Amino acid sequence: MSGTALAAQIRAGTRRAADVVEERLADIAARNVNFNAFTEVTAARARAEAAAVDAKVAAGQDPGPMAGVPVAVKNLFDLEGIATLAGARIERDTPPAGRDAFLVRQMRAAGAIMLGALNMDEYAYGFTTENAHFGACHNPHDLARIAGGSSGGSAAAVAGGLVPITLGSDTNGSIRVPASLCGIWGLKPTYGRLSRSGAFLFAASLDHLGPFARELADLALAYNTLQGEDAEDPAQHWLGHAPADLSPEIGDLRMAVAGDHFIRGGHAEGFAAVEAVARALGATRSVTIPDAAMGRAAAFLITMAEGGNLHLPNLRTRPDDFDFATRDRLLAGALLPAHWLQQAQRVRAAYRARALSVFDEVDVLIAPATPFVAPKIGQEMIEVEGAMIPVRPNLGVYTQPISCIGLPVIAAPIADLAGLGTPGGMPIGVQLIAAPWAEEKLFRVAAALEKLGICAAPQIKAGDSHPR
Amino acid sequence: MPDFDPEAYARQAAAAIGLPLHPAHLPGITMNLALARRMAGLIEQMKLSPADEAAPVFVASKTP
Repeated sequence: MSGTALAAQIRAGTRRAADVVEERLADIAARNVNFNAFTEVTAARARAEAAAVDAKVAAGQDPGPMAGVPVAVKNLFDLEGIATLAGARIERDTPPAGRDAFLVRQMRAAGAIMLGALNMDEYAYGFTTENAHFGACHNPHDLARIAGGSSGGSAAAVAGGLVPITLGSDTNGSIRVPASLCGIWGLKPTYGRLSRSGAFLFAASLDHLGPFARELADLALAYNTLQGEDAEDPAQHWLGHAPADLSPEIGDLRMAVAGDHFIRGGHAEGFAAVEAVARALGATRSVTIPDAAMGRAAAFLITMAEGGNLHLPNLRTRPDDFDFATRDRLLAGALLPAHWLQQAQRVRAAYRARALSVFDEVDVLIAPATPFVAPKIGQEMIEVEGAMIPVRPNLGVYTQPISCIGLPVIAAPIADLAGLGTPGGMPIGVQLIAAPWAEEKLFRVAAALEKLGICAAPQIKAGDSHPR
Repeated sequence: MPDFDPEAYARQAAAAIGLPLHPAHLPGITMNLALARRMAGLIEQMKLSPADEAAPVFVASKTP
């Protein structure tokens, strides 16, 4: 059941939040072992929050728009009373968080029930959630495959039906990549839209937070709830509430397919997904985002440098406590010449100016979200255009140029995977991209695609999600 | 232009910032530095003018 429908029942008093929580806790206890999505289940907290919601309903008070909706967050969000791991063994030594992250407080105030913290790549530096400390996260559509990353637990928990809504972070694609590979909706809002205070950041000048959901209505519910002004995030640019519009009326919107960089370097299913969406929307035009490859390179270097600097104290004193997959990238990042970083920041600004000019003529761009469906867990290399290339960095080839300049994106899952002919019937999504602060247009296009039956979270085939 | 030797560079740069390097980590570090250099080579190709400022702009205060 969707979070939106659940909240309606609980608000109406036809269902108790306490019963929903017990059902979810039992399901997580039985099936999380398949996905390795949760790293901490906050059962006592969930029961207390559910009791508070039920008490409000019984007293005739408004329990909030997310009343009784079970949620969970990537384990880089502060949850009061537990250590914020950010996927790192090192952070087990840190004291428990003194209060919830801002976005967690927003959901709690709206009546949501916090079920726990979710697996991720260490310090969010990865696209696969093959975490050396906490184990690999498994894709609910095929447990032998990755869920994507770095918000892999957030995507797997939603795709596997453990909770309807989760939160993740996206620096270079860490919401959009796992959303695509797990076949669910994901939103990376405009850089600066949502507060990041109380989240363990990775590369602050590129970090975004956002929601995942199986249902588009739930993505909108979460997005509307998460918005709020927060003086504690220096990067937030508060423009006031901008609620999502799920009207599927898109007649006035100009849509196009992203060309050039976004039509190379992937497998057929990624491009077929874009074609299916473009056909349904009647988008016949192709436009080029100028210098997208340079934008990707700039984001790559800025991420390395900011991440390396952030973790330098621990890299100096306890490098072997890092996940080996992130350690050497962070070490190298700490050593980059200043010129490379400054050049990257100047290129980033120049690229932004050129890319934004595209939106003088287009409202929503359609681009692949990932270059291929989820690879197998442990797979190092993959063949693309006749060459063997590393899987991990290339999962972000289409997302990285977009987050580099903070554009809002909805990752939209393709509903008919058989029709698309994806390998193994695995999910894949597309990116719907708009100009800064135009999330409202993205929700309208997403609603139209949902109404047309083109985009929806695909069902997990029976037998794929068997206990391990 | 002289060849870039990522291992020699890593040793010197690490010494400059007080970062001990473990021999076992060097292959990964040099591989990542070589990849970063390829990315840096790409962004060197963009023509920038003195008016092209860096993306993050320092803000003195959140509110006046």
